[in-house]
Amino acid sequence: MNFAGIDIGSTMTKIVIINESGIVSQVIGPTGAEHRRLANKVMEQALTQGGITFDDLTYVVATGYGRINVPFADKQITEITCHAKGVASIFPTAKTVIDIGGQDAKGIKIVGGKVVNFVMNDKCAAGTGRFLEVISDALGLGLQEIGPLALQSKTKIRISSTCTIFAEQEVLSKLADGAPIEDILAGLHEAIAGRVFRMAEKMKIERDVVMTGGVAKNVGMVQAMENHLGYPVLVAEEPLLTGAIGAAILGREFVEKALQRGEEIQKGARLLEAASFFK
Amino acid sequence: MMTQGKLQGLTKAVDVYKNRYKRLRELRAEGKKIMGYVCAYPPLEIVTALGYIPFRILGTMDEPITKADTQVPAIICPMLRSMLDLGINGKIDFLDGFIGAHTCDCTQKFSHLYQYNMQLPFYRFLDVPHVVHKPSLDFMKEGIRILQQSLEKHTGQKLAPERLQEEIKKHNEQRALVRQLYGLRKQDPPLLSGVETLQIVLSLLCLPIEEGSTMLREIIAEVKSRPQKIQKKHARLLLWGTPLTETSIVEMIESADANVVMDDICTGTRHFGLDVELTADPLDGLAKRYLDDLKCPRTYREATDSFAADQEARFGYIAKYVRDWKVNGIILESMKYCDTHGYEVPAIKAYFDRLGIPSLYLEHEYTMVALAPLKTRVEAFVEMIS
Repeated sequence: MNFAGIDIGSTMTKIVIINESGIVSQVIGPTGAEHRRLANKVMEQALTQGGITFDDLTYVVATGYGRINVPFADKQITEITCHAKGVASIFPTAKTVIDIGGQDAKGIKIVGGKVVNFVMNDKCAAGTGRFLEVISDALGLGLQEIGPLALQSKTKIRISSTCTIFAEQEVLSKLADGAPIEDILAGLHEAIAGRVFRMAEKMKIERDVVMTGGVAKNVGMVQAMENHLGYPVLVAEEPLLTGAIGAAILGREFVEKALQRGEEIQKGARLLEAASFFK
Repeated sequence: MMTQGKLQGLTKAVDVYKNRYKRLRELRAEGKKIMGYVCAYPPLEIVTALGYIPFRILGTMDEPITKADTQVPAIICPMLRSMLDLGINGKIDFLDGFIGAHTCDCTQKFSHLYQYNMQLPFYRFLDVPHVVHKPSLDFMKEGIRILQQSLEKHTGQKLAPERLQEEIKKHNEQRALVRQLYGLRKQDPPLLSGVETLQIVLSLLCLPIEEGSTMLREIIAEVKSRPQKIQKKHARLLLWGTPLTETSIVEMIESADANVVMDDICTGTRHFGLDVELTADPLDGLAKRYLDDLKCPRTYREATDSFAADQEARFGYIAKYVRDWKVNGIILESMKYCDTHGYEVPAIKAYFDRLGIPSLYLEHEYTMVALAPLKTRVEAFVEMIS
């Protein structure tokens, strides 16, 4: 049996298809205004990559901010539950997930693969990937450059973490004063890590801590978070995929449970087409 | 165009909910007098005994603030801001008097500002103590007596204790009916939804007491006999927190695969709650009921021997609701800037964590829109407790 998990984030859409042997295919693509209603296109990509057809999918779970725009999903589950499941399957010793995405940040506590507590910041760009995007733009750097550059700093410069826009102003004025760019970047990473750490600490962070989301690919961020925690952080090979992996696994567990109980599996409308929502 | 007075049961409740001031305007046109008041603390029995229809002044999530910002600071809660704005903009043009109260600090300031803007012929401020010692109860009783005397002077009527006792009985009757209504939510699935309950409560706050009680009787009969319309869901939630004046947030919660089966909010059980005891001097019963029996975080319940005992004194009554209504999750909702509720959250969360009852804290901005992030949290919470 094949199970698909589709995680439509505010910035990126991720699809994972699994079967008994593991991951059959995985696709990561930008969400964006045009793509928002085209989850079906990304799904078709994933199916082609895996060499299977849509009807070969036993169950499809959609998660993420855009989960309601997936006309071919059988079930919608929040990204909180999906990230917890995904992380637990990759790192069985994980107790805390810190997920920093394009436009939000979450902390999740896990016990036995299940969510026991969570916190979210989805109201403010400071403390999310957006903060890093705005600042790298202002500095004329690529997102993939800023992490390694930050690690070169000897003295990080304190940057306010209250507001992305004000932080941008601060950065430009410090540059004008001649501050080294790696020191500014180190300060920036520290600002985000600090904010997210404070948010997650409301749940009382426990080891092992796993970082997920696009921002986990930034080595500067991982280092900044480890500085706060005082111990190493675990990061998956592809931190963007844990939500989709979790969604696929939850789909599989749901079907297995239903089969065990001899229950009929309720599926969705299964319309492999664009979301009519936006027509 | 049918007058709202002719409607019945749930239809009437929904109509009043959608047109809050219509019935009051109809009644005023017939010569009746309307007394506005804030919160659940002013003793309404005295108001109605002296010939007024009480109207609880509330804000609305549905209208943008235009003028209130010129008179209040940024950190006042959005509901009080809305209440002031509606007043300044002339939307509440049917009041013959107003009773303000020191319930929270901001309500106190609001009360004086409101009268400053509205210039109503009768205005009295009820100073409500924050603790429940004997001296505070005496103080509350005196405050109620002064309120009664000033209203007697204003109306030229004297209120005999026996007359006040009669009025207390009428209000208690309505309270008993509300408790009966809430009792219908103990079942699984509940016989009426959280949204319906809120609509009914909000409509009661805009109707004369007897009319409200008649409507409640009709509703209870209707709900008991109609075909089951609420779906059975695993999540049976209790809603705790700040006043809700529109159903948007409850609707959002109930659309997240949950039933809201009970509440501890002041546009809910806190307003009706327990009966006023019939004491020889009716003011004793009123003081006790309105200061002590009314459970709201604005009142400081004395700490006793330990934090655990303190928590039990403050929140034990909610644990009873949880047991009696078979609640398996608590939503702690608070509008932004409400210090009174915000400060309670860590202690109440710790209490329910200790009792093994999951809770979710939702800070909202008192809106009907932009609820999707809150819905994600509620959905995750429901997934967590299932």
